Amino acid sequence: MNLTIDNRKITIGKPATVLDVATKHGIDIPSLCAHPELTPYGGCRLCVVEIEGRDGYPTSCTTMAEEGMIVRTDTNVLQEIRREMIQLILSEHPAACMMCDDVEGCKVFQGTIRKVGITTGCRWCPKDNDCELQRIVEQFGIDDLTLPGLYRDLPLEKYDPFFDRDYNLCIYCGRCVRICNEYRKSSVLSLKQRGKQTAIGPAFDETHIHANCEFCGACVSVCPTGAMSEKSRKWWGDPEKIEPSVCPLCSLNCDIQVLTLKDKIVGTIPPGKAHESGGDLCVKGRFCLSELVNRTDRILEPEYWYPEGYGIVSWDFAMEKAREITAGISPKRTALFISPSLTLEEIYTAGYFSEHILKGGVVTSSCLDEKMTAYLKLAQDSVSLQDLDQSGAIFSAYLNGNYNYAPLTLAIKSAAEKGVPYYQLGWITDTTSRFARHRFVPAPGEEIAYLNDIITCLKNGQCNTPEIHELAGSMKKSKNGILVVGPQIVSLSGCITMLDKIRQIADLTGSGLFMPNPYGNLYGMLSLIRMKPVEEILQQIKEGKIDLLYLVGDAPFTKRPKVKHVIYQNAFPSPAGLNPDLILPSSLWGETGGSLLTDNGRIKKYKAVAVPHGYARSHIEIFSGIAGSAKIKRSGFSQKSIKESLSNNFHIPVMGSKKPVSSAGGKPSSPGKRFPYILIQEKNPHAFCNSNLGREIPALGELTLPGHLILNPYDAGKLELKSGELIQLHAPGKKMKFKAAIRKNVLPGYVYLSKINGELEFDSNPCYVNLKRDHV
Amino acid sequence: MKERITCFTEYMCTYPKEEGSLIPLLQKAQGELGYISPEIVETVADYLQLTESQVFGVASFYSQFRFSEPGRHSISICLGTACHVVGGEILLETCERDLEVKSGECTSDMRFDLNRVACLGCCALAPVVKIDEDIHSKVNIIKLKEMWSNYE
Ligand code: SF4
Ligand code: SF4
Ligand code: SF4
Ligand code: FES
Ligand code: FES
Repeated sequence: MNLTIDNRKITIGKPATVLDVATKHGIDIPSLCAHPELTPYGGCRLCVVEIEGRDGYPTSCTTMAEEGMIVRTDTNVLQEIRREMIQLILSEHPAACMMCDDVEGCKVFQGTIRKVGITTGCRWCPKDNDCELQRIVEQFGIDDLTLPGLYRDLPLEKYDPFFDRDYNLCIYCGRCVRICNEYRKSSVLSLKQRGKQTAIGPAFDETHIHANCEFCGACVSVCPTGAMSEKSRKWWGDPEKIEPSVCPLCSLNCDIQVLTLKDKIVGTIPPGKAHESGGDLCVKGRFCLSELVNRTDRILEPEYWYPEGYGIVSWDFAMEKAREITAGISPKRTALFISPSLTLEEIYTAGYFSEHILKGGVVTSSCLDEKMTAYLKLAQDSVSLQDLDQSGAIFSAYLNGNYNYAPLTLAIKSAAEKGVPYYQLGWITDTTSRFARHRFVPAPGEEIAYLNDIITCLKNGQCNTPEIHELAGSMKKSKNGILVVGPQIVSLSGCITMLDKIRQIADLTGSGLFMPNPYGNLYGMLSLIRMKPVEEILQQIKEGKIDLLYLVGDAPFTKRPKVKHVIYQNAFPSPAGLNPDLILPSSLWGETGGSLLTDNGRIKKYKAVAVPHGYARSHIEIFSGIAGSAKIKRSGFSQKSIKESLSNNFHIPVMGSKKPVSSAGGKPSSPGKRFPYILIQEKNPHAFCNSNLGREIPALGELTLPGHLILNPYDAGKLELKSGELIQLHAPGKKMKFKAAIRKNVLPGYVYLSKINGELEFDSNPCYVNLKRDHV
Repeated sequence: MKERITCFTEYMCTYPKEEGSLIPLLQKAQGELGYISPEIVETVADYLQLTESQVFGVASFYSQFRFSEPGRHSISICLGTACHVVGGEILLETCERDLEVKSGECTSDMRFDLNRVACLGCCALAPVVKIDEDIHSKVNIIKLKEMWSNYE
């Protein structure tokens, strides 16, 4: 197809809009609402052009290029129209940052007398210098307002976590609405009302939290103005560097970019241009990493436990003490706990250290319990995420994909939108639920029976309900169905049997399995070293067979177990009652580089982009410091030797002869008048180096609500309960109190408890309970 | 209210689950309940597999839908061109201030709801105020305040 733009003959292959064609060929047409990821909207009218043979001034972003078109983009009339449009926008958009007489001088000296604080100056817009409207105004050289201004005087919206909204600065370009709808498929935002009352946001005046926003930050990324801004770096100004990196907060290891300023990590965004991509990460990768690294309670210096209490010591002294402790230990009497969030290099070194310096101690990780091991056994055969794009039917079980696993939930949503049948099993309404053809909600104790029903239906066509019939039919018919199993299943009583049933369903239907987990490098850990099940080690500790407990980024203890020595090596403070002999501060993701093994067997590397906080050192430095450089040779853990020791199979821990008592849990008590509600418990679903992300990052806690009892607004109404009030929970033989939270994503009749850390409160999960408001 | 929503839900299920059903369902709901409540938005969104925000976005675009419970009496202040130039805005402000109600909402005692309308079609009588079905012409502040007492 041939067309002429500004006297240039242009040939194009694929259909495209006039704006896209022009941009691609280096012809600049001003635009504000157009965005490469989004469908054209035609809202700002800056991109008007003249097309020979057409009346008026069509917007080039909504006009498709046609054969023989003759387009002009830069006539005087067009420039006049554009100036007019900009004036209209500026009449409703505070313009001090562009129009003040002192703009130039202010940038350099801040020389004006002003009534505002020095930190913000009069430049009160957080996007100052990074604003597309500013750029356009500058480009047109507009330095005066021709229309009277109107300030909308809308209240600043600060009540949601992670980002603020100031719709006084909004130019109604609709980018946020479109990216939330089209790309992220969450549809939290819409353009409400019209005319002067036009507003952007969820239905009525609901908060983003209650409108099921995923806090993916896509809308913040694409906003051309300061209407949306990240709370944590609102006034930091432009970052100095943007470096590629990898997210260590779950097994999907998304590619990300880290923003730094003065050697400090200030934020993370998805790959691509800062304002052109947005919706690829989950809230953890988009907002939590910088908050995690910049936590104010990080350990900054080594500490030693003297008889009279902890004292800050030098690294030399700490190393000396560590050597003393390790030297005095007899072989095979040490246990090393490591976190699956560490890098391959760190895990390899830890393994080496345990074998050679701790003289053959055992290595484990608190996540490697019986149920997780069963989960991992099945996850070994996981298909890759790309297979989801090709799958013909998807069935998810206990996914609970809010605030989690973004590439996975995005893949499910896009597949379902294309017509791939999607079914969901579980209690929590997540971002994919709206796309499910059917949702299956089993009653407590019936979870296994439910899967049995599906199996029977697959085997001999006898189906209990038409929905199960449809599910079985779709999964069987499709050559490449996929079963997505979420790690929430690990918290359920029937977990091991259920995983077995799920494998049967996968076999019967020829489906692939996809099973994410909340640990950044669990697969790397399992491929590198042979580890023991955690129950076995805890048992050994109880039996007094362990003298030294060496905790590397992992510490499943609330009080000090009976061992001679405890060394605690972590970036975050130790649990209150643990009282380690020695505390060694370690650096974190982003402060040391390293690599992670992703779920599809690829090694992803990332660089150090910031300096460690305080006197923290990398795990590798600490280990080699203790061992003495002679013993751990640097070459001993070079990239090459790490690659060589990576095995193709995971070494999934096998239970020793003494099998720990499996906490299968009794049958849940029967429902009835006394226990009308159903309690679902989940173990810490967002873990990183021994911390519960939701507790350590308060803003994330507002979403994941660790330690809270979450119930549906309908039930809350019945119990006359408000958010934050105390609630009494009665289960047969047990009574507990929790803070209540109200969320629509928990179904009526159910209550949900996300544990902060440690084991579940009630043996059988789910179970029947009763609720009462706590009258104080 | 709950029964009426249940009733509406039954009716809703006779509609196909597609976006084209959205407006007719909202119209029906408003007809039954007098306004579009958050529960209705939630129910319709669930049924059509949309989000509440999508439903509300569409509904609020049309002036035919209201989102708060109507009062016993309904005051409509005309702000069309003719009424606007002779002080419609002042009448609206008076109502807002003296009845302590915002336009589009209802007084706390449920006596009046207050609305702004574009033109009532009798511009010669401007400024025009409509209370329930009665048209009041050439209204001024004193007249307006006297009128209220006729509607309890
Ligand atoms: S953060 Fe993501 S889900 Fe939430 S409104 Fe913005 S784009 Fe939508
Ligand atoms: S908030 Fe930002 S992205 Fe959304 S419409 Fe306003 S200016 Fe555009
Ligand atoms: S989905 Fe996983 S890897 Fe991706 S941003 Fe979220 S936590 Fe990080
Ligand atoms: S870019 Fe075309 S109308 Fe805004
Ligand atoms: S403008 Fe008020 S009736 Fe027409």
